[in-house]
Amino acid sequence: MAPSGTVTDHPPSSTTDSFNSDVTAENDIRPFFVLHKASSGSSLHGKSIGTLKSKRRIESPTPKIAKKSEVESVEEEDGHFFSTLRLKVFETVWSKIEKAIEDVLRDSNSKIFSGIHDWIRESFESIISSGALKLSEAVRSYPVLTQASSKQLFTALVLTRNLEMVDDLLTFEELDLYLKSQGCHVAKLSSMDFSAKSGVGGCLRGLLRQFVMPTVDVADVTILASWYRENKNHENPVVVIVDDTERCCGPVLSDLILILSEWAVKVPIFFIMGVSTAHDAPRKILSVNALQRLCASKFTLSSPAERMDAVLKAVFLKPCSGFTVSYKVALFMKSYFLCQDGTLTSFVRTLKIACLQHFSLEPLSIMLEHFCQDHVNQLSGEDTGLLTEATMKHSFDLPSVTRNKITRSTFEMLPQFLSDLQRMPNPWSIVVLCIYEVGKFDKLRLLDIFCEILDPEAHYLKYFSPSEIVNCQSHNSGRNNVIRRVLRKLRDLSPSQLSSMLKSWENLTAEFSEINDKVMELHPFMRSVEAAGQRQGLPNSPKKHTSRSHSKLEKEVKAMTDKVAAVIEFMLREYMKPVETIPFHEILCFKNVDKLQSALLGDPRGKIQSDLLESHNILHCMCCSQRGTTLLPSMHDTSILYTLAQEHADVINLHDWYQSFKTILISRNSKAKQKSKSSSKSKKRKDICEEPEVPAEALIQARFCRAVMELQIAGLIRMPSKRRPDFVQRVTFGS
Amino acid sequence: MGKEIPAEKSLNLIRERLCDPTFVFRPLSASSDSNYSKLKFIVSTSITEGCNNSILLLGPRGSGKAAVLDLVVGDLLEEYPDSVSLIRLNGLLHSDDNCAFKEIARQLCMEHHLLFSKMASFDENSQFIIAMLRECGLAHKTIIFLLDEFDMFAQGKQRLLYSLLDAMQSVTSQAVVVGISSRLDADQLLEKRVRSRFSHRKFLFLPPSREEIDSLLEHLLFLPADSSFPNGYVSQFNEKIKNLTSDARFKDILRTFFNANSTVNSLLKFIFRAVSLMNLESGLLSLENFKAALSSIQRQPKLEAIKDCSILELYLLVCMRRLEVKEQSSYNFISVMKEYKTIHDSFQTSDYYAQNVCLRAFEHLREREVICYAENRGQSQTGEYRLMTLMISASELHQGMRSHACCPAILLKLLDH
Amino acid sequence: MAREESSKVTRRSTRSSSSASVTVENPEPNESHSPTIDDLTFGEESITLDALLSNFPGRRSQILDFIRLIGPLDCPILPIMVYGSASTGKSSVVLQTLRHLNRPFVYSSSRTCYNPRILFESILNQLLLHRKCSSNGYSSAKRCDKPSDFVNLLREALSNVIGTLDSASGKGKMVYLVIDNVDLIKYWDKGSMILQFLFSLYTVLKMPQLGIMLISGLPPDVYYSNMGYTDPLLLYFPEYSEDDLRLIFLRNQANKKLYSAFLDVVLRPFCRVTRRVEELSTTFSSLFRKYCEPLDDLGVSPNEEMKRRLYSHLKPLIAPCLNEIFRVSSHPHDGDTRGERRQKVNYSSETREELEVLDFHMSSSAKYLLIAAFLASRNPATLDASMFDSTGGMDNRKRKRKVSEKSMEKKEIAEQEAVMKGPGSFPLERLLAIFQCIASVGDSSFGEEGEEEEEDPTGYDRESNNLMSDILLQVSSLCDANFLVKSGSCPLEGSIRYRSMVSEDLALKVARSLSFPLAKYLYRR
Repeated sequence: MAPSGTVTDHPPSSTTDSFNSDVTAENDIRPFFVLHKASSGSSLHGKSIGTLKSKRRIESPTPKIAKKSEVESVEEEDGHFFSTLRLKVFETVWSKIEKAIEDVLRDSNSKIFSGIHDWIRESFESIISSGALKLSEAVRSYPVLTQASSKQLFTALVLTRNLEMVDDLLTFEELDLYLKSQGCHVAKLSSMDFSAKSGVGGCLRGLLRQFVMPTVDVADVTILASWYRENKNHENPVVVIVDDTERCCGPVLSDLILILSEWAVKVPIFFIMGVSTAHDAPRKILSVNALQRLCASKFTLSSPAERMDAVLKAVFLKPCSGFTVSYKVALFMKSYFLCQDGTLTSFVRTLKIACLQHFSLEPLSIMLEHFCQDHVNQLSGEDTGLLTEATMKHSFDLPSVTRNKITRSTFEMLPQFLSDLQRMPNPWSIVVLCIYEVGKFDKLRLLDIFCEILDPEAHYLKYFSPSEIVNCQSHNSGRNNVIRRVLRKLRDLSPSQLSSMLKSWENLTAEFSEINDKVMELHPFMRSVEAAGQRQGLPNSPKKHTSRSHSKLEKEVKAMTDKVAAVIEFMLREYMKPVETIPFHEILCFKNVDKLQSALLGDPRGKIQSDLLESHNILHCMCCSQRGTTLLPSMHDTSILYTLAQEHADVINLHDWYQSFKTILISRNSKAKQKSKSSSKSKKRKDICEEPEVPAEALIQARFCRAVMELQIAGLIRMPSKRRPDFVQRVTFGS
Repeated sequence: MGKEIPAEKSLNLIRERLCDPTFVFRPLSASSDSNYSKLKFIVSTSITEGCNNSILLLGPRGSGKAAVLDLVVGDLLEEYPDSVSLIRLNGLLHSDDNCAFKEIARQLCMEHHLLFSKMASFDENSQFIIAMLRECGLAHKTIIFLLDEFDMFAQGKQRLLYSLLDAMQSVTSQAVVVGISSRLDADQLLEKRVRSRFSHRKFLFLPPSREEIDSLLEHLLFLPADSSFPNGYVSQFNEKIKNLTSDARFKDILRTFFNANSTVNSLLKFIFRAVSLMNLESGLLSLENFKAALSSIQRQPKLEAIKDCSILELYLLVCMRRLEVKEQSSYNFISVMKEYKTIHDSFQTSDYYAQNVCLRAFEHLREREVICYAENRGQSQTGEYRLMTLMISASELHQGMRSHACCPAILLKLLDH
Repeated sequence: MAREESSKVTRRSTRSSSSASVTVENPEPNESHSPTIDDLTFGEESITLDALLSNFPGRRSQILDFIRLIGPLDCPILPIMVYGSASTGKSSVVLQTLRHLNRPFVYSSSRTCYNPRILFESILNQLLLHRKCSSNGYSSAKRCDKPSDFVNLLREALSNVIGTLDSASGKGKMVYLVIDNVDLIKYWDKGSMILQFLFSLYTVLKMPQLGIMLISGLPPDVYYSNMGYTDPLLLYFPEYSEDDLRLIFLRNQANKKLYSAFLDVVLRPFCRVTRRVEELSTTFSSLFRKYCEPLDDLGVSPNEEMKRRLYSHLKPLIAPCLNEIFRVSSHPHDGDTRGERRQKVNYSSETREELEVLDFHMSSSAKYLLIAAFLASRNPATLDASMFDSTGGMDNRKRKRKVSEKSMEKKEIAEQEAVMKGPGSFPLERLLAIFQCIASVGDSSFGEEGEEEEEDPTGYDRESNNLMSDILLQVSSLCDANFLVKSGSCPLEGSIRYRSMVSEDLALKVARSLSFPLAKYLYRR
C-alpha cells in the first residue's frame, strides 16, 4: 500500500500546485485539450495506451486500484517494514537534494539582490540630498515646485529571462524579504491588483494595506504621504515590487505610475518590475506619458539554463546524495526541460518524482542511506543484515549483476561492490567538470554534456579515432555532438584560454591524483607555448599567418592541444565508466523512463476519452468486461453516449443520437447480439415502431439528458447553437 | 488698507458690481413690462391669495433668469418676511429624487429650526415634506420652490415634480414652484401626469436690446460721485467712460462681440476682462483694454492646438489629411505610417523617425484631441490598429499650418498636393 | 450637529492661528503638527514679481495676464480656466503666482484625487485645516461623495475660513480654489456630470469670496458638449518656442556657456520631434553626460574647436536618441555580462535591435505555439488547408508556390484590409491544428540534426509527443506574456477566440531560434 499510495498522491499534488501557481486564470481552458494529430500518429498511439495503463496503476486516486497495485507489489517485497524504511530513506535523500538546490538558487540570486539594494541606496541618497522637506510641504496637496526633474520614478527592470513566471515567484519573495531586512519599506503587488475592474483604486488600496494599515476608508495617496512622514518612516526608501509586469492591465499600471510620480519627491518610491520577456516590454504596456516618468535601469537574473547547470552540478556532480539517473531518463528530463515548460520548478518536480519512484520500485534503494552519510566504508554486517533472502535474491537478479557474471558465491564481495559504487562518482564527476571547462569556451551547456556522458554505449569515444579528428576539423557535421564540439573548440583556443583552462583543471583534479598527474604533465608544453607567445607579443588568436615565429607559435599550440585532447581521451577512456555499466548500479540509478513520463505528462483529455470508451476497465463489472464491440444497456450511460457519438461527424443530430441511445437501452432481449454500435437509422425506426416502451420513455430521456450534460461538462461536446438548435457539436475527434 | 490707491479702489468696486448679479439686473427690471415685474406680480398674488402656482423661466444660459428670480424673491422676503419660506434646488445637484427630498427636508428643518437627521429614509422625508406643506398651508405660509436646471429634474421618473405638484392639488397646501431652464422645450419633457398638474405659465428671457446694453454699461462702469474717491478722479474716470462709450470704434468692438455671443453674462465677462486690464497708473479705462479683452475672448482652440504641434506631429496630421483626400474612408496608425513612409521615400524629408517615436507623437495628438479613435469598441485591438479620425477640418489645418512658427514648406506643399 | 462642528473648527483654527508663526518654523515630523490658516498660503516667504518672471521664461504675458485677472487684494473674480498642452507650466505658474501674491488657496489635482469623493474630501480637508494622520486613523474630516453634500459642506467651511481670514492679517477675504487636470474628470464614470457641476460651481455656490481656477490640459471647446457649461475666463498657455526652451534649459546650469554650446547642437533637431520640457529634459540630461565625457573639468568655457570636438564626439549618438522613447540604462551592479552591449543597443534604433538573439528563454513548444498563433492571425483561415496538411509541411513547397501566386493577384486588397483589421482572431482549435502541423515539421527537422542516426528512437519521437501535451498550459502562459490576447467567455460553449500580438521581427527571431522556415508559411502581402 504505502509506496504506491505515496506515489499516487505526490505527482498530482505537485503538478496541480504548479498549475495554480502560474495559470490561475487559465485553468478554464483545460477541458479543451484537443489532439487531432495524436490520434493519427499510430506509433505514438500505441505508446500512449501503454502509458495509460501504467499511469492508472501509479496515479489513479481510487483506493481500489491502489489496493490492486499493492497486491502486485506484495510479491516483490515483503511487508510494510521495508516500504516504510524506504520512505524514510527517501525523505533523507530528497531533503539533501532539495537543500542543495535551494542553496544553489539562493547564491545565484544574491549578487543581483545586493546590486538592486545598492542602486536603491544611491538613488535614495540623491533624492535626499536634493533637500529635505518640511512636514507642511511634504503632505500638502500640490507638487513641490523647487526640483526640476521632480516627477521621475526610479525603476528597476528585473529581467527574469524566462517566459514562465513559476521560477521567479520565489525569487521575488526572497527579494522582498531581503530588502525588508535592509530596512526598506516594501510592498509587493501582483497582476491581480491591477485589474481593469477595480481600477487604480484597487492597487493603491493594496499599497496602503501593506504599508499603512489593513483597512483604509478611501485609497488616497495623501494617506501614504502623511504615513511616510510619521515616526521616522521617512529615513528609508519605499519600494514597490510588481513581479509580473506583462500580465498587469496596462492603463491601470500607467495611472498608478502617473499618480505616484506626482508625489515622487515627497514619497521617494522605487519601482521594481519583473519583466519576463524582452527589456522593452514596458514600452508595449504603458502609455507614453507613464513611460516618460520612469527612470529605468536594468538588472538581469541568471537565465534558466544557467541555473539548470548549477543545479545539475550540485545534485549529480558534487557529492550530494548517491542518487542518479540513467541515460534515457536524463535525455527525457532534458527534452522535457527544453520542449515542455522550461522551468526549473518542473525540472525539480521531475527529479522528485523520479527519486520517489526509484524508492518505490527498487527494493535495494535503502542502501542509498549510506551514500547520504559521509563516513565512507561503513557498509558492513548490520546493513547487509537488513537484506532478507528475498532482497538478496533480487539483488542478484539485477540485470547489471547477471551481465557481469557475478554469482551468489561472490556474495561477500557485495559490500566491496557497493563501496566502489560509492567512490565511483568522484573521478567521473571530475572528468565531466573538466570537459565542461573546455565546453564553456563554446557556450556548451552542462546539461548537454551530462546527458551525452551518461550514454552507456559511450558513443563519444569514437570521435577519438584519427579519421574523426581529421574530418571534424574539416566540416562541421553533427554540431550537436558535445564531445566533438569540445574537441573542435579545443583546436582554436588561444594560448591564454588554454592556460586558464589548465589552471581550472588543476583545481578540479586536485584531490584525484591519477588525473592530476596527467594534467601536470601538460605544463611544460604550456610553458613553451607561452614562451612562443612571448617571443612575438602575445597574439590572442593563433589563426594569423603573418610571421615565421608566428607559425612556430602555431606549432606549439597545435602540439599543446593534441596533448590536451589526448588527456581528455585518457580521462574518458579510463574513468568515464557510465553508471549503467557498473554492477549494482540499479541501487542508486533510476532507469524507468516510461513510468516517469506517464507520471509527469498527465494527458487528461486523452485519458477521459479512452476511459469513456472502455469504462469497464475502471468499473470492473463482470457484465460488460467480455463484451466485444457491442454496447450493452448495463454500461454507463455516458460511455454509451460517447461511444455512439464516435460514429457521428463533427455535429451530432440530437434526435438520432437519442434514438440510438434508446434502442440500446430498451432492447435487452433477443437481438442484443446483432445490435452493434453501428446501428443504422432503418433499424432504429423498426425498434421504435415495434416496441414502444412508453413507461421507460421519460426515464430514458432523463438519463439521456444527464449523460449529455456530463459530456458537455467534460468538455467533449458543445451545446446546440441558436442557428441549429437540434445539433450538438463535438469539440474533438476521439483520441 | 487705507493706503490703497483710488485706481485699485475703483477697479475693486467695478469688479464687485460685475460679480453681483442682483446689482447688474436691478436696472433691467425697472420697467413695468419686464419679466421682473410680471413675475413679482404673479408670485406676490399667489402669496397674498394663498393659492398654489407653478411657473417656468426659460431662456438661454446667462440671460439672468436666476438673477431676476432672486431679485423677486428678495423683495418678497422683505415685503412678507414671515409668510414666505424658500427652498432652493438645483438640477445639477439634486436630479436624483432621493437626495432632492433629503435636501428639501434639510432646508425646511433649517428654516423652522428643527433637527434634521441625515439617516431619514426617502419615505420619511417625503411624508415630512407633505406634512410641512400642510402645516405651512394652515399657517398661511407660502413655500417657494426654486428649481434651477429644471430640465434635469424632468429626466428620470420625475417623482419629485410629481409629488410636489400633486401635493399642491390639495387646497390646504400653499406653494409656488418656479422652474428655471435653458431648454425652451423644458415643459415638453414632463410626463403626462406631471404636465397635467403643471400650470403652463412661462417667461421667456430675451437677449438685451441696444439701449438696455448702453444703460447697463453706464450703470456698471460709472463711479458714484458721492463715495470716498477724490472727486477729481471720479469725474475724470466717468468722462473717460462717456466718450469711450460714444466712440464708434468702441461700438464696433461691442458689435463684433455681440455677433458671437449675445447674453448679458457674456457681456459681463467681456467687461470684466477689459476692466481687469485697466492700467493702474492712470487708473482709467482705455479703448485698448476692450480691444485686448475682445481678442482674448475670441479664441480658436483648434488653431492653437495646431500651432502647438511639433513638426513630426504636423507630418502625421498631413498624412491623415492626405489619406482622407484619397477617399480612404478609415485609417489607423499603421496605414498612416505607410503614408508617412511613402512621403519620406518620395521626398527624402529630413524628418523620418522610428515608429515608436511616431506613436508617441500620435498619442500626444490624441490627448490634445486633435485626433481621436473613430469608435469606442475594439478595445481588444492595440492602439495602432484602431481606426482614427481627424477632429479638425482641412481649412483649419491649412490656416493653422500657415500660422505655425516653423512649419516646413514641403508640408504645406504636401497638404495641397 | 453641523453647527457645533463648525464652531469646533473655528475654535481650533483660531487657537492655532494665534500660534501659527511658531508651528510653521519648526516642523518636527513626529509631533502631529496641526495645520494652521497659514497653510492655505505658501508657508515660506513669497517671491518677488521679477523672480517669478525669471523663473518662467516665455511665460511673461501669461503671468501678467493672470495677475491682472486675479486683481488686487480681495477683488471678487469670475471663474478662470487655464489651459494648454502638457508640461507648459500651467500648474507651477498658477501656484507660484499665488505664492507671489501670498493669497490663501486650496489645490486639488484630479490626477491624485481619482474619484469625486476623494476630490471633494481633499478640498474640504484643506479648508477645514484637517490632516490625515495615524491619530485620526487617516480619515478625512467629512465624508462626502455627492455634489449636493459637497456644496453645503463647502459653504460652511468657506464661511469659517473667511471668518478666520479676516482676523488673520493681510491676506484679504478671498480664498482661491485651484483644481488641476480637470480634463481627466471626463474619463470618470458620470464624469460629464461632475464637470458640469465644477463649471457652474460658482453660480451654484453664490459666494463671490471663492475664486475658482480650473487647470485643464484640453482646450475649452472639448467641454462644449456638456450642456450646463458656462464659459469661464480663458487663459491660454501655448507650447514653448525653441528660444523659450533654450532659456528654460539654461536656467539652472552650472556652466552656462558649455550647456548653451550643447544646446546649439541638440535643441533644434529634438524640437522637431517634441517640444515637451519633461521629455526633452530626460533625453538631454543623459546626452549632456555623454557630451561632457571628453572634458576633464566641467568649469571650462568651450572655444570653437573644442565645441567642434565635442560635437563630433556627440554626433553619432544624436540620431539614435531621436528615435528612442524609453531608455533602459543597465546598471554597474547588473550581473549580466552583456550589459554594456545591451546599453549600446538601446541607443540604436529598435529596428536593428539585437535581431540575432532571443534574449529570454522559451520552451520550444511554446515557441512553436507562438509561431502557430502568429500564422493563425496573419494568414486567412481559408488558406490553412493548402498551407498545411496532416502529413506535415515537408512536401508543401510546391503547394506554397501555388499559394504565392494566388497571393500575387489579390495582393493589395489583402494588404489593405490586413492593415485595417490588424492581426485576426482565431479559435483554439485552429491554433492547435496549425501548431501540430508545424510542430511535426519542426520535430522531424529537429530530429535529423538533433540525434545521431543510429540513436535509439526514444530520443526524439518521445519529444514529438511530449510537444503535444500540456499545450494549454503554454497557451495560458503566452496569454500572460501578452503574446496572445483572448476575447474570453465561457469555454464550455467555446466561443473564446485568440489573437496574436507578436511583432513580426519577434516571430522571425523565434523561428530562427528553432531554425523553422517561417517565411515559407507566411501568406505574404
